[in-house]
Amino acid sequence: MTSTACFVIVSRNDIPIYEAEVGTAPKKEEAAHEHQFILHAALDIVQDLAWTTSAMFLKSVDRFNDLVVSVYVTAAIHTRLMLLHDSRNDDGIKSFFQEVHELYIKILQNPLYLPGSCIKSPHFDTKVRALARKYL
Amino acid sequence: MEPDVSIETSCMIRIAVLPIGEITPSQFRDYVSMLDRHHKIDLSTINSFYTEHQKSPFSHQPWESGSLRFKFMIGGSPPSPWEDFQSNRKIHAVIGVCHCPSSPDLDSVIEQFQVACKPYSASIVHRCFAFCPADSQLEHDSKKEGSLIMFPPADRQTLEFHLQTIVQDIAASLLMGFEDWVLKAESGGTILKTPLDSQASLGSEEVIKAKKRRLGRAQKTIGDYCLLSGSPVDANAHYSTALELARLTGDYFWYAGALEGGVCALLIDRMGEKDPAVEDEVKYRYNSVIMHYRKSFIQDNAQRVSPLSFELEATLKLARFLSRRVQAKEVVELLTAAADGGKSLIDASDRLILYIEIARLFGTIGYHRKAAFFSRQVAQLYMQQENRLAAISAMQVLAMTTKSYRVQSRASIAKNRPQSEIDSDQADNSKMHHHLVVSLFESQWSTLQMVVLREILLSAVRAGDPLTGWSAAARLLRSYYPLITPAGQNGLASALENSAERLPSGTRCADPALPFIRLHSFPLHNSQIDMIKRNPAREDWWAGSAPSGPFIYTPFSKGESTNSCKQELIWIVGEPVQVLVELANPCGFDLIVDSIYLSVHSSNFDAFPISVDLPPNSSKVIMLSGIPTKVGQVKVPGCIVHCFGVITEHFFKDVDNLLLGAAQGLVLSDPFRCCGSGKLKNVSVPYITVVPPLPLLVSHVVGGDSAVILYEGEIREIWISVANAGTVSVEEAHLSLSGKNQDSVISIAYEALKSALPLKPGAEVTIPVTLKAWQLSSVDLDNLNRNSHGNVARQAKDGSSPLLMIHYAGLLNPGESSAYGRRLVTPLNICVLQGLSFVKAGLLAMEIPAHVGDNPPNVAQMDGGLTEVVDRSESKNDKLVKIDPYRGSWGLRFLELELSNPTDVVFEIGVSVQLENCNDKNTDLVDGHIEYDYPKTRIDRDYTARVLIPLEHFKLPILDGSFLIKDYSPNAPASSKSPSFSEKNMKAELDASIKNLISRIKVRWQSGRNSSGELNIKDTIQAALQTSVMDVLLPDPLTFGFRIAKSTTKVVTKPNSAEESDIQNKGSIVAHDMTPMEVLVRNNTKDTIKLSLSITCRDVAGENCLEGNKATVLWAGSLNGVKMEVPPLQEIKHAFSLYYMVPGEYTLLAAAVIDDASEVLRARAKCKLPDEPIFCRGPPFHVRVNGTL
Repeated sequence: MTSTACFVIVSRNDIPIYEAEVGTAPKKEEAAHEHQFILHAALDIVQDLAWTTSAMFLKSVDRFNDLVVSVYVTAAIHTRLMLLHDSRNDDGIKSFFQEVHELYIKILQNPLYLPGSCIKSPHFDTKVRALARKYL
Repeated sequence: MEPDVSIETSCMIRIAVLPIGEITPSQFRDYVSMLDRHHKIDLSTINSFYTEHQKSPFSHQPWESGSLRFKFMIGGSPPSPWEDFQSNRKIHAVIGVCHCPSSPDLDSVIEQFQVACKPYSASIVHRCFAFCPADSQLEHDSKKEGSLIMFPPADRQTLEFHLQTIVQDIAASLLMGFEDWVLKAESGGTILKTPLDSQASLGSEEVIKAKKRRLGRAQKTIGDYCLLSGSPVDANAHYSTALELARLTGDYFWYAGALEGGVCALLIDRMGEKDPAVEDEVKYRYNSVIMHYRKSFIQDNAQRVSPLSFELEATLKLARFLSRRVQAKEVVELLTAAADGGKSLIDASDRLILYIEIARLFGTIGYHRKAAFFSRQVAQLYMQQENRLAAISAMQVLAMTTKSYRVQSRASIAKNRPQSEIDSDQADNSKMHHHLVVSLFESQWSTLQMVVLREILLSAVRAGDPLTGWSAAARLLRSYYPLITPAGQNGLASALENSAERLPSGTRCADPALPFIRLHSFPLHNSQIDMIKRNPAREDWWAGSAPSGPFIYTPFSKGESTNSCKQELIWIVGEPVQVLVELANPCGFDLIVDSIYLSVHSSNFDAFPISVDLPPNSSKVIMLSGIPTKVGQVKVPGCIVHCFGVITEHFFKDVDNLLLGAAQGLVLSDPFRCCGSGKLKNVSVPYITVVPPLPLLVSHVVGGDSAVILYEGEIREIWISVANAGTVSVEEAHLSLSGKNQDSVISIAYEALKSALPLKPGAEVTIPVTLKAWQLSSVDLDNLNRNSHGNVARQAKDGSSPLLMIHYAGLLNPGESSAYGRRLVTPLNICVLQGLSFVKAGLLAMEIPAHVGDNPPNVAQMDGGLTEVVDRSESKNDKLVKIDPYRGSWGLRFLELELSNPTDVVFEIGVSVQLENCNDKNTDLVDGHIEYDYPKTRIDRDYTARVLIPLEHFKLPILDGSFLIKDYSPNAPASSKSPSFSEKNMKAELDASIKNLISRIKVRWQSGRNSSGELNIKDTIQAALQTSVMDVLLPDPLTFGFRIAKSTTKVVTKPNSAEESDIQNKGSIVAHDMTPMEVLVRNNTKDTIKLSLSITCRDVAGENCLEGNKATVLWAGSLNGVKMEVPPLQEIKHAFSLYYMVPGEYTLLAAAVIDDASEVLRARAKCKLPDEPIFCRGPPFHVRVNGTL
């Protein structure tokens, strides 16, 4: 069974600082763009929703067609970890988000990393993809 | 599905508005706009047009507060299959709009109108409005028919009033029509059907069911008409009945319809009230409406028709209702559900409408990204239609999304912003705050942006809108080039070219494409056209304007600089200025910029376009120039670029922000860095003022501006030509020198410039300047030696040359507060090469005895005076070295200079001595100076040579005590008072006389044809002379001379030959003959000297031949101890006779012992003891005694 999953980290300035297609479905550029459009549109909802709850994991906030957007909001500088997926595995997604959050914090602690700029670390990328395989 | 639905849609009466006859779209739009205001007609206003034919079925008609609502369907609409289900879908009236002047035949207009009305079978009222009829048309009889209504030409207000009346009349007619319909329906007999109902022949069971349902459906429809007639209470009553009946018959679709109508009736009834209870009621009821529509879904005809669109419409209606109350969360849920439902919509246009509505509703609640998302979905649906109109729609819809995706065209930004903001933006191009920069790059989701721009480009190409396509391609290329492959970049470049081909030339686009342009620098005025603010209060108006002193920063000038936080720049009308900008082409294709020039909005600047060719991945600094044309301010916000066939304006600020963003890691890449250009300081556009024209002097050195190469001490005259290249004449000018080695400029012809003023435009003046090369310091020499010889350029550049500055200005207008002058700095580029160098200097003494002749010269000049001109015919060059053999030269001293020539040219040294001619009778030279030149000494390269400078002419004529007395009698009471003073005074005088002496000696050299100079030997001579200066300068107190007494001369003369006669003329002495001789004693002091004179004669062996046993000379007269007294500055003769017995050479010597010597004499003689006798000795005189012939 193939699954779709598109993971994006959006900075406080609404700029995507990390993008990854982590699904098992064969990669198509068109589809990847559509996924990002859906994630981008979901930001509107996240923006409102984030203030209504103290939880960091907002669960699924939006959907379009069969694709669901789950969001995890970090506390410190309002970075949003967003996952577009078609599976319904809330626990796995939550664990995924928590572990990616830890990785992200490690990135933030790098003195050479400018907060708000793109994450280009290949190490981070490898780890995220490994986590996606593990949980999603 | 229908667009723009809301709960209130159910109570709107649809009226088709159709253009009739010839009418231009703009006129039609104009008339419709008048009509459009009357979409709500109060029942109270139609009272007068309403006539109650029978009892109204609307018993609760609110005549006071109610109203009819019109919805004008411009251009009409196709009939809907659901008209029976929802009566508001019917077209109840048709209005034709006709423009009489373009359709003169009213009959045909009526005919056309009737044809147009045909499709609207349900319509009750038909009216054709004829605007602007002519008089003849007004008289047309057709107006009696009532359907054609003339609007006579009148002003707008009257026309509108007229229209209002007519609309009210229509409203009344409609109301009456509805009443009729309702009365008819109540009596039964209408069959109401929907496409949902089975089209197949009804079975018996079904027929019974249908009959039961009919009543409920009729009640629902009557309710609809009540709503249309503006009577919600009546409607509610009918809907209640309908609900009951529909529930009983299980007619869910009509149940939902009635429920919907009921909500509308409720809302209309409670219009203007803000009751949360009503809201909850509406929400509750509508949820049930949605539920019942869903229930009515029948599987068997799902392929053909589906109530889904009604379910979605209901959802949208509720969402719209809630969106007005800002209940975002519920609206989002409803819209998400609606979007989900959209998947199963059969009709593509239904889906289009759904997405449009969803996008609009998201927009209303402020979810712009969601709205943009659905707009994009709409655009994609349009694009699937594959026709031009759909492509245009897609393009327009996408254009609306650009704001959310942050890819707006700059044209749309500019339109939406107030002008003042743009102005302030352009004015304040200095520092931007960090958070502002960050906000500029917010929501830059590059993947999405690229997709959107690509879609705009695609749709524009399909829609045939080249400008939009160009703009999209430009934005795509400019912002996302790092993400586009070189092939893609090429594709975009060709898309730009293709679009430009379809555009008229000279098209402007608000969105810049490539290249990236940033301000590099404003080149400062070069020193030639330096400007200086005039200080009108001062004569030297330039003073204080330039930073004085060696420090770049002075605390005193700090206060001024902080006042003007911005850098200021002054440009001059009519003088070209340059601005350096850097262009970058980070893409993989050759970029040809057809023209680029500075963009100046203040219209007082003419910019010169240039074209540039940028290879792939390259950057280039180019110089853009222009001429200010008018006095005032100039702002340079950017450049106008003509590239890819379109003219765009590139703002420096945008690129600055981009670079800032790149520094923050917010932007993909820095276009300049990826082209290999370094990081540049953020250059802000200074505050530029244009001032009236100033004169402009241009200087050049005649014969070439390159460095003048001089050997040390070389003197050369150069001519500096100064021309006024400006348009204003130079009224005042001041010459001055600055820089190092100013003393190397010996003279400047100040008058040459002064006399040329005012210097008219184009006029030229030549200023001669005499230069003398300075001595190289040891450091310079070291440098020279280290570098291989001939590294001339470096030496000239190191700034050791003096600068000639000319401060000049035009006429100062009295009214002007800030006038400017100018400074022309002409570097006198002197490159000094090492010339002759000294090895050593010394003083040589030389003695040449004189011959005794019959015609001796004046004794006063014998020993220290002038060397008399012996023969006028002799050339002057010989004079200094030729020593008269009859006078000799005693105590002659030479200054010997040893010079070496390390250069590679030959030098010729010439010594000249300038003398003050004290002997008046000989003066035939100007200024009482005589110059003597010695023959030139040639020094070859790498050789050393000696130059002798005779110092014989410097003896003072009088031995004056002024030099000596004080020095040697420190105990003297007269001088004891102020010994230090007198001592100093004496030394000063001594120094002065030495200097005077030295200054008269000039050692000139010449090398080649045109380099000549003077050796600076003062110090050397001074050092050499220091010890023996007394001997050189001061004469002996007594001078002695011998001569043959004249009376005997003739006797011995024997004119045999020319040579002999010559000798005899000089007076030769013959042996064995009594020779009368005279000794001359001259007193060189100012006191009378008493002395005792002694004369001796020696032979060649040096033996005394006057005395002793071997005396060979007999004598008469007194020779020893002759006492005499010589008055001051006089000479005394003492005669005696000698008899030579042996021919040969003899030497006569005179000596004297001075009695009672004065202090002066003692000092001169340097005697230590006060009573030491002072002995004076004259120079030896040679006497040649010839044998007897």
